[in-house]
Order: sequence, then C-alpha cells, then structure tokens
Amino acid sequence: MGSAGLLQFIARLSRRRLPYLLALPILIYEGIFILYPMLVGIQYSLSNIQAGSTASNWVGFDNYHRMLTDNTFWQAVKVTVEYSLAVIVVALSVAVGTAMLMNQAFRGRGIFRALLTTPWAFPDIPTTIVFVWMASPIYGVLGKMARWLPWVHNNPKWLLDPHLALATIVLISVWKGFPFYSLVILAALQGVPQELYEAATVDGANAPTRFRYVTLPAIKPTLMLLALLAFIFSYQQYTLIWQTTGPGPLQTTQTLSILIYNEAFQFYDTSYAATIGVAGFVLSVIAALMFVFLERQARAAEER
Amino acid sequence: MASQSAYLAPAPPRLRFRGAKAIQIAILVIVCVLIMFPIYWMLLSIVQPYKYSLAYNPSLFFRGFDLSPFHTVFLNYSMGLWLWNSTQLALIVTVICLGLSLLGAYALSKLRWKAKPGFGFFILLTQMMPGAIIIVPVLRLYRSLGLVNSLPALAFVQAAFALPICIWILKNVFDSVPGEVMEAALTEGCGEMGVLWRMMLPLSIPGLVAVCVVGFFFSWNEFLFASTFISPDSGLLPGSVGLGTMQGLYDTPIQLLLAAGFIFALPPVVFYILIQRYMISGLTAGAVKG
Repeated sequence: MGSAGLLQFIARLSRRRLPYLLALPILIYEGIFILYPMLVGIQYSLSNIQAGSTASNWVGFDNYHRMLTDNTFWQAVKVTVEYSLAVIVVALSVAVGTAMLMNQAFRGRGIFRALLTTPWAFPDIPTTIVFVWMASPIYGVLGKMARWLPWVHNNPKWLLDPHLALATIVLISVWKGFPFYSLVILAALQGVPQELYEAATVDGANAPTRFRYVTLPAIKPTLMLLALLAFIFSYQQYTLIWQTTGPGPLQTTQTLSILIYNEAFQFYDTSYAATIGVAGFVLSVIAALMFVFLERQARAAEER
Repeated sequence: MASQSAYLAPAPPRLRFRGAKAIQIAILVIVCVLIMFPIYWMLLSIVQPYKYSLAYNPSLFFRGFDLSPFHTVFLNYSMGLWLWNSTQLALIVTVICLGLSLLGAYALSKLRWKAKPGFGFFILLTQMMPGAIIIVPVLRLYRSLGLVNSLPALAFVQAAFALPICIWILKNVFDSVPGEVMEAALTEGCGEMGVLWRMMLPLSIPGLVAVCVVGFFFSWNEFLFASTFISPDSGLLPGSVGLGTMQGLYDTPIQLLLAAGFIFALPPVVFYILIQRYMISGLTAGAVKG
C-alpha cells in the first residue's frame, strides 16, 4: 500500500521536524488563498486602481485619509457593530434557553433536538427566499402576525423600513445561527456534574438561583468562546444581508462586508474597496484580541 | 438508538414535581413550532394554489394541494444542473478540508513544538478574514491565470475559508483523546503518524463526520465567491448562485422560487438529520472543557 510506505517514511523523520511538516501544507495553502491576496489588497489600498485597468499609481495613505473622513464608512462601522452585538446577545440567549429545554430526560427528545437545530442545516439562500417572502409588506405572513398586536393596524414594511430593516435581518440571522450555539451549549450543560444541582437544591436554591450560581459559571467558558465565534460569523456575514436588503433603506443595513462589495463591484473602485477591507480586518483583529484579553482577565479574577 | 446514550451521558437534573416537566415540554413544543414555522410556511406557499398565497390576510393552513412547482422548477430552470455543480464543488471542498485539517489538528493537539502558538494564531487570523477583503485580488489573480469559470478553482478558495474552523473542531476532538492512549501506542513502537492513522482516526469518527459536514455545508452555502467567479452563461453555476439569480428576477413566480429553495435545502437538511447524533458529539467534544 503506497500510503503506508509514505507514512513509514514520515514516521522515520525526527519527532522535531514532524509538526512543521504537518503545518507546512496548511501554511502554503492558506498563504496562497488568503495571505497573499491580503497582501495584494494592502498594496491596492496604497495605490489608485480602478477595475479593468492594471495601471497603478502609488498614492500613499490618500485612500485611508478619504476613508477616515467618509461618513458612509463610519455609518458602516456602526451598523456592523450594532448587527454583531445584537446577533451575539439574541442568538446566545435563545441558544442557552433551547439548550436548557433540550437538556431534560424525556421520550422523543432526539426528535425535538433534530427539529430545533434544523435551521443550522438550512442553506443561506433558501433562508433569505423564505424570509423575504414572509416579510413582504403586502402578502407577508409576518405582517399578518404583527397585526394581531392591538396597536399595529397596517403591515410593517420590515426590510424596507429604515427602523426595522436591521432588526429583521438580526431575526433572520438568529434563526439561522442559534442552533449551532445551542448544540455546543447543550454539550457543556451535559458536562455539569449532577451533584452540584442536588447540593444546591438541598441548600434550598430555587431554579433561577441554580441557574445563576451553578449552570452559568459552568458554561461560561463555552459562552465566551461562542460569543467570539458569533462575532466572527456576523462580522463576515454577507449572503443573508446582500440577498435581503443589500445596503438597505438609508444604508441602515450596510455593514462593512456589504460596503466593500459595493465599492468593488458597483462603483468599480478597487483601491477604496481594498482600503476599507484592510481597515475592516484590522478592526476585527483588534476586537478579537480585546475579547481574548477580557476573557483571560475574567478567568484570572475568578481563580483568585 | 442504542448508541445515543453514549453521547448524551449524564442524567439531566431531576425536577421536583411532574407539573414542571409538563410545562417545560409544552414550552419546548411551542418553541419548536416557532422555529419550524418558516419551513412550514415555505411548504404551504409552494403547494397551495398561487391565488391563496397572494392575499393580504393569508390563511395559516393549507388551502389546496398541488405539487407541480417542484416539477416546473426542473423543467423551466436549470435546477438539476445547479444541484450537480453544487455537489461537485462541495465534494472537492470536503476532501481538501478533511485532508488538511487532519494534519493541522494533529500538530496543534498532540505534538509539542515551538511554533505551535504562532501556528494557532495564524489559523485564527485566517479565520477572521472577511471574504470581501480578498475577493478582488483573488479575482484578478484568477483572471490572469484563466481560472475564472472553473469549479475546482472556486472550490480551492472556498476550502481556504472553511479550513480554519475545521481545524479547530478536529483539534478539540483530538484533545479529548487521552494522552495515555497515545503514550502507550508510542512505546509499543507505533510512529507518530501511525498513532494518527491507527489510533486517533478510529477514535475521532464523530469529529471527522463533523469536519465533512462543516466543509460540505460551507461550500453548499457559499455565495460571495461563487457569484463572482462563475459567470451565469458558463453552465457552471452552483445552486446558491442559481437561486440568487432567480431571486433577482422580478418576474419569478413566488411558488417556483420557494420550490427551488426548498429542493436546494433538502439535501443538507436530510443529511443533517440522519447524522446529527455524530455531529453533536463531534462538534462539542472539546466544548465541555471550554
């Protein structure tokens, strides 16, 4: 068997070199498809390139100066932060709730678990198709349901309404995103020792107290990790927004991803799109590092 | 279902009285109904005659039954071709992700080396990269190499974005394999790669399934690169972009658009329901420890 021979050959290499050999293909692969384009993007951001032309003039930090004084950019930063925070908070809350519901012993919980987590497997584009249909201002069933509320008399315009568009997209993103978090939290819940709950109950703790002092501390590391993941996912979200609103009414749903795509493919301003891209990447890395730092601090404070 | 207990280990908290349990199950049912409602509404709008869907006050229950939209989508649109293209694309991405994440996860989880934190940071960085940043450079690169309108070339980029999360998932799974198992195998004369091949792989099947699913779904879903790198007249459009073009045409009848979406969603949903038990233990092997 060829692969066995190859394996033996690799095995004979010294233990010190093996990890580097294993990492090398990944470094090369990600280097070609992510790192190299990223560096080219930085080069674009420092020059003046329009789509279709290959000529480039070095313009230094002109594009960055333009970006920092561009209200559209700051508006997109604001929308991105609002969207990400809303998705993190709502999706994780729903996920904790559903995970606790699923963490009970009863017949047929496998079926409930499958049903509850189906949206995760439901692809993005069909999701946007059905939600755009449900949120149609004329025929949409969401409007019908909103009118059940006593103070709503006309169908809201949902994705077309500057006040509701982002909230509607958050709703769609939560529907699509929460099952993954819920499954991970469920596993964390199952790792909480049963004795802790029993001891707390013996001590007279009621359900909310048990949640606060037993469940929450036990799943906190998992929650922090998921919050970071949720941030990354919503920061990168493109499809769900592009196919429902795009920039949206009064650009209220124009996140950085949407803005970059618009600059590159609607306005053909390659350099400016790359500039916003670089800035967006730097902002996301700073946010992630801050997050990791805060988490470490919180953990250290707990252990003290 | 016998194996299920292995994945859902400890008995959940016992409630003090039966009423509480009934209430919890009732809440669970209501939540399930809410979550499933969009999919129910999709089906309803597909199979009931058109005129009932186009109402200001639509009925919440089926009025009439007609499966012809499912058929029409294949006749009037390239649904079959889109599905075939998506399948090829997703399979290539799955293979790349599986192969490379095995190497990376093993190196990150079970081997000791100096550059490990740096490598982990590199993976995290690539994971954080929004696709919109690199799309123009990659598009220009592909144009100059004549690689636009090529499914493998598209799959390579998609895999680059799915790979980091696959590595993390598999690393967590490998972490949960006890170190003693590995030590024992090493003293028995098994090489490091032998350990990976003969010990880690069989012990990590759920994790491998999870990686395959994540890679496959990522590609099946992917829209940004697919819509940029494949032109509509090439006959290579994957389903996500095909549906996107249908969605962009204002005269697409809504029940056909929904039917196409439903058909496109069916493979991953059915697949997921079949393997979800593996998926759960695979995704979450490391989550317990945080």
